[in-house]
Amino acid sequence: MTVLLHVEALVVEYGSGDGTVRALDGAELVVEEGATVGVVGESGSGKSTLGAAVGGLLPAAARTVAGDVRVGGVSVAAMTPLQRRAMRRDQLGYVFQEPIGALDPTMRIGRQLGHVLRGQGRAAVLDWLERVALRDPARVAAAYPHQLSGGMAQRVAIAMAMASEPALLIADEPTAALDSEVREEVLDLVFTLAAGAGTAILWLSHDLPAVAKRCSRVAVMYGGRVVESGPAAEVLVAPRHPYTAALRRSVPSAAGRGERLVPVPGQPPVLTGAAVGCAFAPRCPAVLEPCTVDRPPLVGDLDRDVLCHLPAPVGAAR
Amino acid sequence: MRLIGWWARRVASAAATLTLVSILIFAASRLMPGGFAEVVLGPFATPEQQAEVSARYGLDRGVVEQYGLWLAAVLRGDLGTSMISGEPVTVEFLLRMPVTVELTLLGVAAAAVIGVPLGIVTAVRAGGRGGAAGRLAGGIGVSVPEFVLGSLVVFVFSRFALGLTIGGYRPLDEDVGANLRSIVLPAAVLAFFAVAVTARTTRDAVMGVLVEPYITAAVARGDSPFTIVVRHVLRNAAMPVLVVLTTITAYLLGGAVIVEYLFNLPGVGSYVVAAVGRRDYAVVQAGVLLAAAVFVVLNMLVDAATGVLDPRLGSAGEAR
Repeated sequence: MTVLLHVEALVVEYGSGDGTVRALDGAELVVEEGATVGVVGESGSGKSTLGAAVGGLLPAAARTVAGDVRVGGVSVAAMTPLQRRAMRRDQLGYVFQEPIGALDPTMRIGRQLGHVLRGQGRAAVLDWLERVALRDPARVAAAYPHQLSGGMAQRVAIAMAMASEPALLIADEPTAALDSEVREEVLDLVFTLAAGAGTAILWLSHDLPAVAKRCSRVAVMYGGRVVESGPAAEVLVAPRHPYTAALRRSVPSAAGRGERLVPVPGQPPVLTGAAVGCAFAPRCPAVLEPCTVDRPPLVGDLDRDVLCHLPAPVGAAR
Repeated sequence: MRLIGWWARRVASAAATLTLVSILIFAASRLMPGGFAEVVLGPFATPEQQAEVSARYGLDRGVVEQYGLWLAAVLRGDLGTSMISGEPVTVEFLLRMPVTVELTLLGVAAAAVIGVPLGIVTAVRAGGRGGAAGRLAGGIGVSVPEFVLGSLVVFVFSRFALGLTIGGYRPLDEDVGANLRSIVLPAAVLAFFAVAVTARTTRDAVMGVLVEPYITAAVARGDSPFTIVVRHVLRNAAMPVLVVLTTITAYLLGGAVIVEYLFNLPGVGSYVVAAVGRRDYAVVQAGVLLAAAVFVVLNMLVDAATGVLDPRLGSAGEAR
């Protein structure tokens, strides 16, 4: 397969001077064409920054210190503003967490969708509203965002993101703000539409089992780095990084019946510069001496890798 | 039906506001030390002379009775007679309205044509070069008092007239060129202030909209900055700008007292202030009441526009 997205040793900081916060501390990620990749991490792990960096959407306060993001082999940082806009328009689609906020409150749904469809007319608008399984498309088209439920608004946002049949859809916690009943429906929709259009998915989430259920690959983020990545089933069943293992035990959907939920002890780190040693060391149950001093090396190959001084062996349940 | 109810409520509240204003202004004018008779007749008049003058204008009656008579006349559309000139107040105001209206239109036009685009551009470019300079210029524009800038303009253009008239006013229907030469400097002084306030308000409003998630979403879709401003920013940032433009309009229609004095213009503002000094009650009351009415009506229109501009606040919002 061809590599669609390559994030290389990306370092991103917010603010400057004493107030600097390092959101990404050398993140590595590869997404192949048509792949479905779940990026999993707690809030503050850097996954949203990673998602924004792909489209060159980092806020003005953010600074790319090192590394590179390449979409279709072209460095996003090296693009001219015009090229970057063309990339966003033709190659990328974004779906955000807060669906109603992502729509202009003063414009009817039909017009907003019509703008994305670039003058294909009302029939195309209604057709897309139907494709995202909205009942009564005519009524939705005439509505303003605040008149829709969160689930309906997210379907509209998905239609707007998928209308250009992008190569890569970046979904940043697309169901976190939705009622639990509609979450699965919305995810079904995203994955069905993407599969139909050959669109690769980069799904940012905090729910490891939910991601592993739908994605072909999973990348686990901690402290601004991807600490483990690999085929979803392998990462979920046989995590090699102690953080992945802890994450798995902390989520209700992963625990078996009668099994105890074990929260990950301690707080995620707030980095002000490059982490000395492993960022997870203070919370790690199996911490070794080098963990607090040396940055862990990359162990494994591109298909299945882990950043750890003492990774669990491949295939062993942790 | 809902719309009719909305307007009925608005009109009722406007009427209540104006009634309150009428009471306040009437009470205030009667509470000023030294009545009309004393001011007109001077310090050496006998009490008999004063009583005679007061009786002639009905000022010897009870305050409540005077208020009742005045209010009844106003409701009939009769604003009374200037006690100084003997002319109907309406005529006196109509004589001075052209100056005030012209100053208002020029000031508000400058605010809309210069201030709004300036605010949008500085907001979109905020953070880049010139952002701090723009903020500084805006701050100065808002905080320089009218009399300072006005005096400076009078001083400078008294020496270098450049064909402009300093002081005095030529009516528009008499000679358009002369009218413009006499109005451009005072209008510029007022416009400076109006532009600065409008630019600053627009800038804040636009910057507030630019951080909204739907703007990020539009950027993520690959829309150009120009498209985003035209399509999403203008309407969402319009409300505070509309409010400030309305406030400037109402403020200027009430009379630009300082500028009128500085440039010796026969406008409404200086006329009402002079009337206060002469205890010309009918003029003072009518002036304040008219200014209040302008404010109330313009605010009502802005409220109506709010519902149109933002569907969340309009009838659709009420339906929830």
